[in-house]
Amino acid sequence: MRWTIKEKELMYPGHVACPGCGGALAMRLALKALGEKTIVVLPACCWTIIDGPFPMHSLHVPVLHTAFETAAIAATGVKAGLDVRGKKDITVMAWAGDGGTLDIGIQALSGAAERNDDIIYTCYDNEAYMNTGIQRSSATPKGAWTTTTPQQTPKLEPKKNITEIMIAHRIPYVATATLAYPEDLINKYKKAQSIKGTKFLHVYAPCPTGWKMAPDLMIKICRLAVESNIFPIYECENGINYTVNIQPQKKLPVFEYLKLQGRFSHLTQKDIDEIQKSVDFERQLLLKRAAKS
Amino acid sequence: MKWLDKYKVIHPKLEKETDYPHWAISLTSTLLNRTGTWRIFRPLYQDQIPPCNNECPTNEKIQGYCDLVKQAKFAEAYKLILEDNPFPAITGRVCYHPCENSCNRKDYDDAIAIHCVERFIGDWGLKNVALAKPKVKNKKTVAIVGSGPAGMAAAYYLGLEGYQVTIFEKQTKLGGMLRYGIPAYRLPKAVLDTELKKLIKLGMKSKTKCAVGKDITIDYLRKNYDYVIICHGAHKNRPLGVPNDKAKGVISGLEFLSQINSGKKPKIGKKVAVIGGGNTAIDAARSCLRLGLKPMILYRRTRLEMPAVPDEVDACEAEGIRIEFLVAPVKVLATKKGKVTGIELMRMKLGKPDASGRRRPVPVARSNFKIKLNAIITAIGEQVDLSILTPDIQKTEWGVKVDRLGKTNITNVYAIGDCVTGPKTVVEALGAGKRTAFQIIGATEKIISKTDKPVKFTDLNLDYFEHQDKTKIPEISVAARKKNFKEVHTGYNKEMVLKESERCFSCGVCNKCDNCFVLCPDLSVIKDNGEYEFDYDYCKGCGVCAHECPRNAITMIEESKVEEQ
Amino acid sequence: MKKVITGNHAVSYGAQLARTQVISAYPITPQTQVVELLSEFCASGKLKAKFIKVESEHSAMTACIAASLTGVRTFTATSAHGLALMHEMLHWAAGARTPVVMANINRAMGPGWSVWTDQNDSLSQRDTGWIQLYCESNQEVLDTTIQAFKIAEKLLLPVMVILDAFVLSHTSEQVDLPEQSVVDQFLPRFELKTKLDLSHPSAYGGLTNPDHYFEIRYKIQKAHEQALAVIKSVNDEFNELFGRKYGVIEAYRCDDAKVILVTSGTITSTARVVIDTMREQGRKVGLLKQKLFRPTPTEQLREVLFKAQKIAVIDRNISFGHSGVFAQEIKSSLYGLAGAPPVFDYIIGLGGRDVTPDAIYEIIDNTFKTDVPNEPIIWRGVRL
Repeated sequence: MRWTIKEKELMYPGHVACPGCGGALAMRLALKALGEKTIVVLPACCWTIIDGPFPMHSLHVPVLHTAFETAAIAATGVKAGLDVRGKKDITVMAWAGDGGTLDIGIQALSGAAERNDDIIYTCYDNEAYMNTGIQRSSATPKGAWTTTTPQQTPKLEPKKNITEIMIAHRIPYVATATLAYPEDLINKYKKAQSIKGTKFLHVYAPCPTGWKMAPDLMIKICRLAVESNIFPIYECENGINYTVNIQPQKKLPVFEYLKLQGRFSHLTQKDIDEIQKSVDFERQLLLKRAAKS
Repeated sequence: MKWLDKYKVIHPKLEKETDYPHWAISLTSTLLNRTGTWRIFRPLYQDQIPPCNNECPTNEKIQGYCDLVKQAKFAEAYKLILEDNPFPAITGRVCYHPCENSCNRKDYDDAIAIHCVERFIGDWGLKNVALAKPKVKNKKTVAIVGSGPAGMAAAYYLGLEGYQVTIFEKQTKLGGMLRYGIPAYRLPKAVLDTELKKLIKLGMKSKTKCAVGKDITIDYLRKNYDYVIICHGAHKNRPLGVPNDKAKGVISGLEFLSQINSGKKPKIGKKVAVIGGGNTAIDAARSCLRLGLKPMILYRRTRLEMPAVPDEVDACEAEGIRIEFLVAPVKVLATKKGKVTGIELMRMKLGKPDASGRRRPVPVARSNFKIKLNAIITAIGEQVDLSILTPDIQKTEWGVKVDRLGKTNITNVYAIGDCVTGPKTVVEALGAGKRTAFQIIGATEKIISKTDKPVKFTDLNLDYFEHQDKTKIPEISVAARKKNFKEVHTGYNKEMVLKESERCFSCGVCNKCDNCFVLCPDLSVIKDNGEYEFDYDYCKGCGVCAHECPRNAITMIEESKVEEQ
Repeated sequence: MKKVITGNHAVSYGAQLARTQVISAYPITPQTQVVELLSEFCASGKLKAKFIKVESEHSAMTACIAASLTGVRTFTATSAHGLALMHEMLHWAAGARTPVVMANINRAMGPGWSVWTDQNDSLSQRDTGWIQLYCESNQEVLDTTIQAFKIAEKLLLPVMVILDAFVLSHTSEQVDLPEQSVVDQFLPRFELKTKLDLSHPSAYGGLTNPDHYFEIRYKIQKAHEQALAVIKSVNDEFNELFGRKYGVIEAYRCDDAKVILVTSGTITSTARVVIDTMREQGRKVGLLKQKLFRPTPTEQLREVLFKAQKIAVIDRNISFGHSGVFAQEIKSSLYGLAGAPPVFDYIIGLGGRDVTPDAIYEIIDNTFKTDVPNEPIIWRGVRL
């Protein structure tokens, strides 16, 4: 197998992501897809740091750093300004973490989606507030350890399903993607770029540091997340037409995914069985939706 | 501006910005930030030995040419094979491909049909690539005794370097076992003849019908040539060692095949038993079938212990030849005039393993029985004729005594191939010929030893491979094989060879799959003219590249041990 | 063209005549008419702007900041809780040196809910880096709005135009609407050298460590220090073209005044009448209207106030635990001057309670009668 991914980089090395950072790779690939006529909007998130301290900057494209909860609206504002100036061919992408998307930024995101503002919104999801030191977010999966959900009382609530929330906004394009399938990810960004309106991409981007996992497993864990149906790869157009893009070849038990991560090391067999059950349930739900459309 | 001096300004569009900006507008890139200092482990591109290459007795770069074939670079693939084996059209047909037995893909679905790829390239090269000429002139002379695969390989590599090679052959034509031992349905004579043209182009002289030891002596050669290479093979028949084993109608397998391969039709009766379980036995039996005879094979152990290549045994059975296992000859039955009428056999069972590791056949008491026959072909092994050697050349129990590179105890006298090892394979002979030539040339760096650490199946990252069945090897129907010596396998076409080579995992050798490049979060894999390089200024040593390398061609080593490397 | 319009509509006309390019706003009483009229302007094509109707004031401010950084003229309007919600982004707007112009309709902060005027909302944003201009009439609102863009764009600082809820926002007055061509002459297209677009692939506002943060803060202060001169020159230019001028402060009958009353916003108009009455009575009283709150016009304040014997400050606001905000600023401006007059701080009219001419008269009178303030703050009209 050989990739058909172009070599041109729109990012510099020397950025300050942790070794094996999924978020760093996600940005690199997304920019390869979008090209240099792109402006990125970064709210507070790991990427605030990754981009590098002033006067340095790790992307070849302009970046607007903005406040935590403002990714979507800042992107909208940039897009509006560019439109007024007649620069309609520039893609504006908001790039926020899971906290900035599912928690503090959901209001502005929902607003932008309701108005169908012409932006791409990426949530690079590492399932906790990693930049501040691994605190739980509403994207943290049930059962996971974080510094605010210690092992004695790991997170009790399931992960908020932001993908479905965004689909419910009936925006033209919602998709999930992850790094073990870079071509799928790149194609989705290209597709998003070709559509007018709000596009939401939920990118599963592992954080080896926060997941207590060896950094070299970063891609493998993405693959396992997909193969165990923890993170299904699909897209939905106009809130109605579902397509499952990657059908796992083998039905991998969630244990295979969980066991590589220290954040799940305290789970009992009963916990794992419960996770399996809910994953199976969600899988069926997704397949039903896909079958209907 | 002074404050900016310590930063390398690299945004070309911002070069004119010299004032301190009115707010935090960046002016330079993160290139200044050498994140390589964070690294504890560093990745290294370090090709490992693929098991196929490792198992190949002539060290063919199998992974290498499969990779070139994938890219339809047939000429390059051909040249790469020729570095280690001058005659891929031959080995592609007759080699028993130990490479395929070691192929990691066999643990995934099915080994690559390497020999079919090799054969395609061998044939393609013969048609499309000009024959090589000597690269340099050289006044040194070499006498090669025997024109089998060992001698041919030595002649080729010496010829390339301009050595004056003369080959001495007892038979009327060159090729040794390739010509006289292997039936045409496996190796058409035309293919052999075309391959031999390579040697002629290199200026090799040949003296056929010249039996060394009889017509000319080793001593003479030693006096008149700078180097002597003895490779006269193992042709001496081993008798059955049972009563009447010299009866009329008992013929050695090699003799039988030699007659056929010389264009003669051996005069033997219709109902034939071939005794033995090796490749000669199979060749003899299948040749019988093609002569219109009714052969069967008698073997004293079971199919599992048969030294013959399983594919050949399968073909043999497919052609309808019965193999009787666990029987051993007790006596050849003959008329008073000494003409074979049958054979008396006894049943065997398997006992404890012998020195070869195979279970030893043990007679079953009172199990004797007889069958009627017109002829018996013996194929229970051949021996080396050591009588041609001068007494000062040291010998072993079964052949000439040499070191790893074919040197005998006499300076500039070498011995290679079956005359050293006893009967072995074509490819082993070729490998020995090549290594000896390299030794004489002084290109010892090209002589590769086998490693004990080839890439294992478990070293691979299988996530990047999809299951794909082996491309079916085309062959003529069983019916079409009767009463003729048409080649059974017809070979892959271009489409098939591309498909089959695509299955190669390329174990341990970077084949530019781009995984490391695409998946590096730190942009520390630099691609330059299709070659990869790590940028240690920035690589943080996360190890994603090494983990995601499908073929184990990247190794992570501790920074503190980099010096040792 | 003269037209009778409300203070809110004066804001809308100002933004329209300034050819605002991106508007983003969220409705809040008493600001709603500002955005309603702007929506109509946009719908009718009278104003070629993009109006982003956001889901919160926080987003409204963010949209303005982001759009402004692409080099377009941006505008928003809000009030009270809306302004408070923007607080984080007010810092951002100034820190990012965006010339965003905003109208804030001064409204009291809850709880309990009040839609009526006082200044606590805008004064709470004192330290965000915004220029604050308080207006007295609808004409001033319109003129200040137009000027605000020019000031903001020259300094790369955001400007807040402030008017009292209902007393001005919902009160109709005759306003002279200038010709578009003259406004265009006054206010050319906004050009931003370091705009966020592909020609400038920088990061804007990234992590700034102690090596650099300090210098960037310093530059914001320097811009504020330049503001006084810039506002004056903009004002002069405006005066030449339109024949109206407003200083950073306005001194009314202060020359020989023993007591000077300091006001801001609409109370000034009421106070003017009271001053005239008292002057007729022979009392030496003057009025200082403080239009520019930030940056503090220290020199201008000193020049007028130092000559008086006493100063009475009307604060329609309270900085809890301290005093009225304007009084603090006045005291601070006079601090260190030998023989500086005492400052009487009157807190009055919170939550929109009427500030009548009688109340102002009483304040001035009380100041005349008292040598030095007996208490740091003097409450007027508390009914307990």
